[in-house]
Amino acid sequence: MFLQRLGLRNFRNFEEEAVEFPERGAALIADNGQGKTNLLEGVYYLEIFRSFRGARDEQLITFGCGHFRVEGLLSDGEGGVEVAAAYARESCRKKVTLDGREPGRMGEAIGHVGAIIFTASDVEIVAGGPAARRRFLDIVLSLVEPGYLSALQRYRQILSQRNELLRHGASLTELAAWSAGLVFTGSRITEARARWIAARRASFAHYYGAISGEPEAGLDYVPSVPRPGSGTEEGTPTREGWSESFHSEIQRLADNERRRGLTLVGPHRDDVSFWVMGSTERLQLRSFGSAGQQRTAAIALRMAEAESLRAARGRRPILMLDDVFAELDPQRAERVAGLLTAEKWGQVIVTSPKPTEFALMGKSLAEYRIVGGRVNRL
Amino acid sequence: MSVIDDLASEFSRLPGIGRKTAYRLTHYLLKIPPEEACRLARAIEAMAERVRHCSTCHNLSESDPCEYCTNPNRDQATICVVEEASDIAAIDGSGGYRGLYHVLGGCLSPLDGIGPEELNVDSLLARLNSEIREVIVATNPSVEGEATATYLHKVVAPRGVKVTRLARGLPVGGDLEYADGVTIAQALAGRRGM
Repeated sequence: MFLQRLGLRNFRNFEEEAVEFPERGAALIADNGQGKTNLLEGVYYLEIFRSFRGARDEQLITFGCGHFRVEGLLSDGEGGVEVAAAYARESCRKKVTLDGREPGRMGEAIGHVGAIIFTASDVEIVAGGPAARRRFLDIVLSLVEPGYLSALQRYRQILSQRNELLRHGASLTELAAWSAGLVFTGSRITEARARWIAARRASFAHYYGAISGEPEAGLDYVPSVPRPGSGTEEGTPTREGWSESFHSEIQRLADNERRRGLTLVGPHRDDVSFWVMGSTERLQLRSFGSAGQQRTAAIALRMAEAESLRAARGRRPILMLDDVFAELDPQRAERVAGLLTAEKWGQVIVTSPKPTEFALMGKSLAEYRIVGGRVNRL
Repeated sequence: MSVIDDLASEFSRLPGIGRKTAYRLTHYLLKIPPEEACRLARAIEAMAERVRHCSTCHNLSESDPCEYCTNPNRDQATICVVEEASDIAAIDGSGGYRGLYHVLGGCLSPLDGIGPEELNVDSLLARLNSEIREVIVATNPSVEGEATATYLHKVVAPRGVKVTRLARGLPVGGDLEYADGVTIAQALAGRRGM
């Protein structure tokens, strides 16, 4: 599957634009503020139906307009599927269609594009706060793990209900009624996160090594719920194991939670740690990594995500790169370009303010220039 | 404000009725013969005056106790707990249940300020005499409905009454192909031996 046509209406700074892309891919050249990232945001909107930058839907509408619409024609050379999304400011209504039909649940339409986006701000996943890492996991797992998104939505609903209850004081019985749901959905989330990280550890280490030339790197899940069967790092605990551990932890913390009026344990407090092997011990990249190391880890993580999407969907994902070479040294940039153009990946859409960087990706990409929300093929 | 505006503003307070629809309904009533409009008004008046909450099960009924609570042919050992009185019609209409009912009047939702005290839980516990053998919890499968079900289980089970929950899964007569992932996952988790 590749993105054959993209249509944008009143989306960010694109008033009305339609672009055709070849199967191999596209290189988008533009000065700052012309709409490079906005265009990629539009494509990725069709994957998750929200902004990858965390913007609210109404913020995506062109200033002064009432609605936006994004549509993409995905083609495999023979047939195709059209994914479209629109949002109206006044009614606050989002409409998603697949080939013109509205799916029963929005969740069914998620992940049809099969795309990965690499951006300069990905470094925040490694260097920023834990919320960025949880957000990364949540998006990936919503795309590759059936049932994850609905468990997450239910978990968040229960969490806000339970926190409200704790804030205002409640009987132990009433609290326990909410804890049951929290543990049920929470252990589902924790188990899926632990399993994903365990499965992608080798892939992350491989890509980190391939880009940096440094010997050993890794990522570890740091769950808020104590890992069941403590002592052993290896092996992935079952959902029942997580559930029991979560349950006993929530009982242990009951008094503390009631005193502080807050749910103190659960996947909403999880973290992921990224590390490289130093001369004697593991160095946490978040605190001790150089900017280059952190950026490399972010790219390796996106590569691991792409592997995961490829395995889950059984087809080559579309890779979108938003000005990612800017801060890499020439050697790393060349290695990254080499990995991204490998046979196992599909269409590549890459943006940069400097056309010279496209040479890294070979000469095979069609070139476009974006100026003030208009896209022209060169 | 004219009487037309007056009626339209009353209509617009109803669920699902916006300003436009409110005026459409009002103008419709102006077009039909006046006696038909009065018949509607009388029906609303009669309903408001005569329909009461049953003091036993909190169902809506013209008689207190209601027709379910007074019917000797119903199974007196089972109580089906629902969120709203309107749920009774759905369950009883299925023909699969012939026991008693109990209306909670909502479900637990701390964000809306609804705790057990706001629901008809105490009156349910008061009904659990030696005759009652089973309480069927038929709250909605929403997170609030589930929490309410768990809560009821915690307060009812210690009284020595069996507590059951409605099963979830594939709709009867539905095609597997058209069921959504969440429903199929639920049905798989709740599969039974044959």
